[in-house]
Amino acid sequence: MSNKVAIIASNGSLFDAYKVFNIATASAATDAEVGIFFTFEGLNLIHKEGNQHLPLPEGKEHFQEGFKAAQVPSIDELIVMAKDLGVKFIACQMTMDVMNVKKEDLIYGIDVGGAVTFLDFAKDANVNLTF
Amino acid sequence: MNATKILDAKGLACPMPIVKTKKMIEELQSGDILEIHATDKGAKNDLAAWVKSTGHELLESSEDNGLFKFWIKKG
Repeated sequence: MSNKVAIIASNGSLFDAYKVFNIATASAATDAEVGIFFTFEGLNLIHKEGNQHLPLPEGKEHFQEGFKAAQVPSIDELIVMAKDLGVKFIACQMTMDVMNVKKEDLIYGIDVGGAVTFLDFAKDANVNLTF
Repeated sequence: MNATKILDAKGLACPMPIVKTKKMIEELQSGDILEIHATDKGAKNDLAAWVKSTGHELLESSEDNGLFKFWIKKG
């Protein structure tokens, strides 16, 4: 049974990071081929510096302790896991140009591409998700 | 039940029990049994769904005072 999951990550808070990377690693661990397109604020999730200080949504800062108490893995851990499981990361070229982000500013081992690069991956995906 | 290997996933939150299970089962041979210990309350439904999608078999599960145990036979 082939399973393919295409994810668009377009928001940049810590909540968004968990939504994206939890689903991505869980899918990949369930033998799915997984690709994530990071666009606009979503680029923050794979920005070397940005993803070390992902903000909690305004008014939700107190959940920081909940993350600790629930012993959820760190975002760095999830990214390593995702890569190890073969998840494909695609950074949006247009967003990078708009925000003046260089490929060196992003984590190692990702691809940079345009909308069609992602659409080509997503066209035969049986699960499409947007966060 | 005679497990070939035991995975200690206690204290790990979603999705780590599944990720670790996937990693460890790769090291086993078809027919081998993996015993998993977890405390994540979501693991029960997740592992049942996981075996359905990956072609392995959940032979048995138990729960004792917050500790979940699962026995999965590699397909």
